[in-house]
Amino acid sequence: EPNDLGDPAVMRAVQSKPTLESQDSAVLDSRIGACWAEFGKEDMLPMDPAGWGSCPASIPSPHGLEDKAILQVLERPPPSTNVALDFLGSPMQRGYGGSPRLKRPNLRLMSPKSFPQRFLRQQSPLMPPSPCSPRPFVPTRRPSPLFSSNQTAGYASPTPFRPMSPNISSPPQPLAMHFGPMSPSLDPTLFFSPSASGQLNLSVPSHMTQLHPQHQRILTQRQQQGRQAQSMSPKKLWSPKADPYAGLMTSKEKDWVVKVEMIQLQSENMDDDYYYQMYYHRLERKQAEEELLGGRNKQEPPKLVTPFIQKVETYDSVVRIAGSLGQVAVSTCYSPRRAIDAVHHALVEEVAVSGAGCNCCAFLSPLLKAAGSHRLRALHRIEKLFLQLLEVEETQRKMSLAPEGKQPCCEEQKSQEVERIYQVLKIRACRSEEEAEDEFLQLLCVRKGKKLTARLLPHLTREQAEKILLTITHHLPFLMKKDMDGAVAVMGETVSDSCSPLCPAQSLSLLYSPLNEVVGGMTFSKLIEVLQKMTRPLPESPELPLAMALKNQFGISLLYSLLSHGERLLSSDVPLEPRSGDFEMWTDTVFLVARELSQVPKTSLVEPLFLPSNLLSLFCRYLDKQTVHHLEAKMECSPLPSEAAMPC
Amino acid sequence: KHLVLLRDGRTLIGYLRSIDQFANLVLHQTVERIHVGKKYGDIPRGIFVVRGENVVLLGEIDLEKESDTPLQQVSIEEILEEQRVEQQAKQESEKLKVQALKERGLSVPRADTLDEY
Repeated sequence: EPNDLGDPAVMRAVQSKPTLESQDSAVLDSRIGACWAEFGKEDMLPMDPAGWGSCPASIPSPHGLEDKAILQVLERPPPSTNVALDFLGSPMQRGYGGSPRLKRPNLRLMSPKSFPQRFLRQQSPLMPPSPCSPRPFVPTRRPSPLFSSNQTAGYASPTPFRPMSPNISSPPQPLAMHFGPMSPSLDPTLFFSPSASGQLNLSVPSHMTQLHPQHQRILTQRQQQGRQAQSMSPKKLWSPKADPYAGLMTSKEKDWVVKVEMIQLQSENMDDDYYYQMYYHRLERKQAEEELLGGRNKQEPPKLVTPFIQKVETYDSVVRIAGSLGQVAVSTCYSPRRAIDAVHHALVEEVAVSGAGCNCCAFLSPLLKAAGSHRLRALHRIEKLFLQLLEVEETQRKMSLAPEGKQPCCEEQKSQEVERIYQVLKIRACRSEEEAEDEFLQLLCVRKGKKLTARLLPHLTREQAEKILLTITHHLPFLMKKDMDGAVAVMGETVSDSCSPLCPAQSLSLLYSPLNEVVGGMTFSKLIEVLQKMTRPLPESPELPLAMALKNQFGISLLYSLLSHGERLLSSDVPLEPRSGDFEMWTDTVFLVARELSQVPKTSLVEPLFLPSNLLSLFCRYLDKQTVHHLEAKMECSPLPSEAAMPC
Repeated sequence: KHLVLLRDGRTLIGYLRSIDQFANLVLHQTVERIHVGKKYGDIPRGIFVVRGENVVLLGEIDLEKESDTPLQQVSIEEILEEQRVEQQAKQESEKLKVQALKERGLSVPRADTLDEY
């Protein structure tokens, strides 16, 4: 029941034998400690005290033990108050019979000295010996195997109400009675639930509840009386009808509350409860004195029994929610607040492990691939870079507002900053195998990284921007795949349907606009260079990047943009200064595009962000009318002004 | 059935239906019992949800012994009247006390805790 308390970070109820440390005996006032006699509820009732004989070994359950003892105590105040500890240790001898598991070596007993008087007083109303045979237990009743070795769930340790009287000459015999649905594996202590209903408390005390002995007694009393009355008259004294609101709290809830309170009592810190500590010390001292005086065997005062609930010493203090940059603060009673650390842990670990920068990819990759550390690192870098970029933009803004004179130096500063950012990005064209490791690409896999790049592009030099474009185009399949793979996972699931409103992918489109600008300023040769990236065959796929691009919004938009620019250049009067092979490359590309466009099924063709108007003219240049028509239909272009006017 | 003593001195009696770890209580068919001398009066209040921090103590009522009390139950009006009288008397004696102390140069600091009881 790890979540019994609803807070897994705090504690877990452990189903295990309580350790010695957790075993404490009940706190009982020395005077009223004797009251645990009440412990065995109605079991005690029908017992004929006189009939206590030696406890047969056939005692059905350990539960019987304390009852017997209690009965003994009740009926017969011990002639001497000599309590031998081993009394409990070897219940068999005392005829407490039953199971050897009753031995609990670390039980501590209360001084029985004051015991008898109180007991006698309280005894009378309690136990009228009645000849009637015991009613079978209320089914919900659970026996309390105080001495059960199967003590589990760390509920109250068995000690609380130890039968004190050692001198039971005639161990109670009634254990032969049926005590109800007993099973040794049941919980340690029988408790009454603090039900609000009246006398007849049919609700079973849960095994968790630990009651003060006096309370226990009263409840028993009540039950006994109730039962007596019941057994005497067939008419029920208490019926559910009388109190329909009873039992609003389930026993589970009650247990829970008790558990919480009990746990609060567990503390390593001795200063936590000054008064209890003082009281306990005094008690100890007093007993030590008595011991000295009386020369008795050492008796230890009982200690507070707290349910054995293992406090989880280590808990998952760091909770990482998927996709978050930092750690979520998990505050428990052990650590009230933890500030959110942005990924420092992850980085520190990695650096410590690798001992080097991020360049030794091969070595680090198995390590780095651990648990989304890539993303975290990427996110971390993005954050840092973004801050720098924002500064740059701020400077820019101020510059535009500032008078003319100041501009050059600010310009200088700004370009330096931009340069710095650019350098940090470590943009390079790498091989396909390294895509997962490349830092820049990792940045681009994250939406914010794309945003960062998009915002940075306008500030970069032509060269730098074109380099970025080249890199992006070079790795376009990778990026497109990543984009669709749900770089953003919605509710933990990848939304693959790009048309779904839930699909937040397509963040590549962020890059379209700035890249479009870059394209618009490229030379023809550069354009060809970029286009070459898209037309080169891929080792791991028969599809051309080109073809893949048609199925991706960003891809197709970029492609169109490139083609459009080419067409623009060609149809303009600007001298192109092409390199050798450029034109061939160009025409080849156009043909390729046309082919792919015609082959791709219309359903797979994605609508671009922007459809340039000069594409058809471009196709007209090289393709026949029919094909152009076909493509026109495919691309859903607006038809050219007049077909007759088509230069094809 | 429980008796709850609150920090402001009120006594509530009702069926305890629910609790939590803060000792917040839910009382059903609650009755506020006012004691003046040997008399008491019950004011029916219905359902109470009491915040734990305001509870001084709480005890279960022994239903058998409940009726076995030397106290005399009176009507609400009467007990309220008695209470008022008692309050008045207390205030006056307090005033006299403070006055006497003042004459002797002592001043009693005003108790500013919420616990009036």
